[in-house]
Amino acid sequence: MTGGRLHPFTLLAIAGALPALAWILPAPAGGAWTATVALVLTLTPGASPGLTSTGSSPGWRPGLVVLRTAVLTAAPFWLFLLLLHDVPTTIAIGLRITTMVASFVWLVAALQPARLVEAMVAAGWSASVAYLLAATLSAVPVLKARARRIVEAQRCRGLSPGGGIAARLRALRALALPLVLSALHEVDERALALETRGLVPGIRRTPLAPPPDPAVEQAARWALLLACLFALFRRFV
Amino acid sequence: MIPHPPLRLDGVSFAYGTVPALAGLSFSIAPGERAALLGRNGAGKSTVVRLVAGLERPDDGTVWVGDWDTRDCAPERLARRVGSVFQHADQQLFAPTVREDVRFGPRALGVGEQEVKRRSDDALEDLDLTPHAAHHPYDLPPALRKLAALAGALALEPALLVLDEPTIGLDRALCARVTSALLERSAAGVALLVITHDLTFAAETLQRGLVLDRGSLACDGPLAGLLGDATRLEPLGLVPPAVAALSAALDLPGRPVRAADAANVLARVARGRPAP
Amino acid sequence: MRSLTLESASFWYPATEAPALREVSLEVAQGEVVALVGALGAGASTLLLVAADLAPRVTGGRLTGSVARGDRSGIVLPTPWTQASGMAFTVWDEVAFGPANLGWPTHEIARQVDRALEQLELVPLASRDPATLSGGELQRVIIASILAMDPGLVLFDEPAAELDAEAARALWRLIRLQAKEGKAVLLATSALDALPDVADRVVWLEDGAVRAIGTPELLADVAACDAGLGTSVASVWWASGLPGPYPLTVAHALQRWR
Repeated sequence: MTGGRLHPFTLLAIAGALPALAWILPAPAGGAWTATVALVLTLTPGASPGLTSTGSSPGWRPGLVVLRTAVLTAAPFWLFLLLLHDVPTTIAIGLRITTMVASFVWLVAALQPARLVEAMVAAGWSASVAYLLAATLSAVPVLKARARRIVEAQRCRGLSPGGGIAARLRALRALALPLVLSALHEVDERALALETRGLVPGIRRTPLAPPPDPAVEQAARWALLLACLFALFRRFV
Repeated sequence: MIPHPPLRLDGVSFAYGTVPALAGLSFSIAPGERAALLGRNGAGKSTVVRLVAGLERPDDGTVWVGDWDTRDCAPERLARRVGSVFQHADQQLFAPTVREDVRFGPRALGVGEQEVKRRSDDALEDLDLTPHAAHHPYDLPPALRKLAALAGALALEPALLVLDEPTIGLDRALCARVTSALLERSAAGVALLVITHDLTFAAETLQRGLVLDRGSLACDGPLAGLLGDATRLEPLGLVPPAVAALSAALDLPGRPVRAADAANVLARVARGRPAP
Repeated sequence: MRSLTLESASFWYPATEAPALREVSLEVAQGEVVALVGALGAGASTLLLVAADLAPRVTGGRLTGSVARGDRSGIVLPTPWTQASGMAFTVWDEVAFGPANLGWPTHEIARQVDRALEQLELVPLASRDPATLSGGELQRVIIASILAMDPGLVLFDEPAAELDAEAARALWRLIRLQAKEGKAVLLATSALDALPDVADRVVWLEDGAVRAIGTPELLADVAACDAGLGTSVASVWWASGLPGPYPLTVAHALQRWR
């Protein structure tokens, strides 16, 4: 699948080019095309254990989970647009937003932080910067796991997930606050802890398994960039 | 035979996907009984806690909490009868003060406000946390946060307390607080199931030993007898705690496993011995 | 050869009036295991952070007195899950994270990682996803990760907290092995009963200051038992009212008894 096969920079390039093209190309055709591509991509995330948490099962199931996440995340935007705009505008903007959301969701699912660090280090970036970027991306599964533990602990204290609006808001507070507090509290500890693992500026990290970067992919990335510039040129000139 | 013991496992089997965790587990705990759930890492102890709290349903067999089948109960309903404290419980704290956080549980149960205050004040008092009750949980050191999480479970005043490693990170003084709080509750009829690898704490606090080995019950009997028997403990990956080992080595009558008891017996035996 | 020398070191955390360490003087030599004991908050964790050059450099705060290190240090924190990189797919990768960050050549990394995995009996878990490990297994993985960076001064903060009895015993053996290989080891632990077999010297910290330094025998002193820091055997003897000196271990007690 894409996450396992493509070079991390290629993944970044695609995740950046699709939204860019969605906004540059004339609506609604442009947006429809890019949104379709982005949504199809969500079916092919690859072996990232982050967003899917279905373990290492092959096949379409992980893809369907990612697709569902993308659709569910984009849906509120459509609702919001429908309230504000007429149908053609809603479709035009909605497709563009869908492209952005789907591209980002696919990126988080497909981009393996370890591979990104390896790729950045092989390209000459410092390990600390690479790690910072990768850690931001991998924060999602860590927070998800912790959120699940907190939900369990609060339910075992009697917190009921149902009830009226007021009850649900109170419940949200009991779930969101501990997540935020414990995560913030741990930021200090994590910063300290990472220092203990040798992430010191100035030392060139040894790439353990730099992902291969075939010429085809490098050419494709340049082609994507050129395509965006060309579209931009065509649009405004 | 108690009609509905606070906890009864009846032929419980459970697997995480394809990985088996428990096989045909059966035991029950009576009111006021204090049981230790022991065994190597990975023997299935935490799985038992999750099943009792209603976070998982058994694949086979039944987990009875009183007369409730956990299959029919959501965890928030089981909270009326079971107070569970998991590892890293300090991550569940969120209220502006420790006191408010401890009140969260009883409030969620829908108990009246007077009763909420009484239950939480009692829980804080039992663990000597009253001096810290007005602090923000994250202003406290991690060890005291752990105690605050335990107070939260005590405040539910459940018939059964299930604790997963309550003493990791606590020094001797704080362990002693936990011991005394649990002994008090047990004297009032609360059943205890405590996972711990701290056999010294188990010796001081608990009376019955349930030892899991690869998902089944390898041992179920009085803890005192078990702790002094190195030959039984070793194949299960356990080591006799120091006081039990001392009693066995010196062949003290009654083989006490608690420090205070051993000290008394030692003094008595020493007095009765002829001078060297 | 001294791996670590502290002279009258005092340390204040940021925005805190009371010092966490007060005039601590301590030396740890290569091949020696020194244990820090004391009540929670006595300063053992802080002392380890200072020794690891994490305080005040990363934690902030103020340090007076002098700290001299002869070797690169490695520290295992009491919250091992915070030290996990969060980006390794296998235990092998996780242990290799540190050495790779140090820029070592790949064959050297492989050698250190394989050795560390063997020492911590983690070879069967080498291809497991660290996110699926239990607390005890993760603690061992983090210990392996730090040892794989081949520090000359190894610092442990409650390394056995999450380990079961067998793993704890293996850990104490490993710590003695580190000392035998010439490393200096400084460890903070509340597992007092294990110290007579593990530590060469014991440092008793109270309120940030050194109250006593000596051999593990000091854990059988009346003062230690009074403070709740005696070994279980010594504490039982002390509580029974029998005359001192109190036996340190079961073996000593048996000798006394006969």
